Amino acid sequence: MTQVQPSAPLIELRDVHKSFGSIEVLKGVSMSVRDGGVVCIIGPSGSGKSTILRCINGLITIDRGTVRVGSFAVETLTKDKHLVPLRHEVAMVFQQYNLFPHRTVLQNLTMAPVQVLGEKPAVVRERALALLAKVRLTGKENAYPGELSGGQQQRVAIARALAMQPRVILFDEVTAALDPEMVSEVLNVIRELAREGMTCVLVTHEMRFAQEVADEIFFTDKGVIVEHGPPARLFKSPNDPRLKAFLDKVL
Amino acid sequence: MTLDYAWLLDPLYQRWLLNGISTTVLLSLLGIVLMFVIGIIGAAFLHLNVRYLQTPTTIFVELFRNTPPLVQLFFLYFMLSDIGLTLTDPATGRSIPLFTGFTCVVLSLGLYNGAIAVEIIRSGLLAVPSQTVEGARALGYTRLQTFRHVELPIGLRLCIPPMASNIVSLIKTSSQAVLVAVADVMYGATQIMLETFRNLEVMLLIWVVYLVITGVAVLIVRRIAAAVRIPGYGS
Repeated sequence: MTQVQPSAPLIELRDVHKSFGSIEVLKGVSMSVRDGGVVCIIGPSGSGKSTILRCINGLITIDRGTVRVGSFAVETLTKDKHLVPLRHEVAMVFQQYNLFPHRTVLQNLTMAPVQVLGEKPAVVRERALALLAKVRLTGKENAYPGELSGGQQQRVAIARALAMQPRVILFDEVTAALDPEMVSEVLNVIRELAREGMTCVLVTHEMRFAQEVADEIFFTDKGVIVEHGPPARLFKSPNDPRLKAFLDKVL
Repeated sequence: MTLDYAWLLDPLYQRWLLNGISTTVLLSLLGIVLMFVIGIIGAAFLHLNVRYLQTPTTIFVELFRNTPPLVQLFFLYFMLSDIGLTLTDPATGRSIPLFTGFTCVVLSLGLYNGAIAVEIIRSGLLAVPSQTVEGARALGYTRLQTFRHVELPIGLRLCIPPMASNIVSLIKTSSQAVLVAVADVMYGATQIMLETFRNLEVMLLIWVVYLVITGVAVLIVRRIAAAVRIPGYGS
């Protein structure tokens, strides 16, 4: 692990390449996110957005390039044990919630901090209860994920990510599987986190939300970042014709 | 044709039957424990792609799943008694064979139904959604921790129905204990038949006895299934 100056960005990807079989999904992606930054990745399906997120927390190994998060050189972490400290810092929330169906809401929050990080159950429990209050799910501690609505499950998933006390949260199309009326309750929670200064990287199709919360937008297409910049400029006056075409379709 | 059950009043025959039933139940219970141990360990080796152990496990499964349990029992019985391992009884000081007929039956049941259990549990593990596993990985769970805390608890629940059939099969297969002179319920039955010649009556009764034992086993499995059901998951 290399020492890094404090002024350096918290997350930095350089020339990242990744193929699945013969399909090259990432063809040299470079991006950086500052500490406390809120970044949205937009783009058509299959453009590699979710793959970028999974490179950041080491869920997939990259073929070429470097991924740095804080002091971790992610591409050098190969053993499960070495990935634990990284995943302590980088939490993730998924499109399908990916909760543990056989455990209660409260246990979903407390499991990993106790079993992975080795924290004291009593301390974790206190924190978990506070987090459930934060995502407005007090009273659901003993419910099972399958008994909750999609929006509630996704808020549990966000609380579960927060229970790890991460520096970064990755959001992978977290509202894509939700009924329209539940989208806002999840977005409200994310908006709050962004305001509090949590570093957030979001893959999203909610353009209005991206425009509102992000301080930088990255537009990906066919495995490369085509254009990036602050939302005000990117949405109002896109340069690249592909981004123009994309925005015409989704806005 | 009339059925004559007068022999059932004989206390000797009653004792043979009751002792036989308790032996059958004990053989089955020990066999089930061994079956689960083998099933879970074997399924873990295959599921976790454990190097050097995967191929032996596959060979074990094919060997014991695809051959008749009776052949396996006879092989175990004759091979192990040939090796002649003995232990000394601390009470009497006598040397007794380590692998009695009883031990061989338990081993045989555990191996035969255990081989099938490996595949049953593996099917349950494969049915655990990949998203759930990814969720655990993203939280820092190692491959082994994910298996222990997430995949196994969910996978075991998902494989309860085929596992119930496997348990019933194990209880039924235990009746071959009679062929290595273990006094199970089938053994008692054959003894009574030899003395009374009431073959049809005895077999009818034994049929009912097995039905009751397996019926109780299925009821217990259903109770367990209900107790560990995941609220709101699946149906």
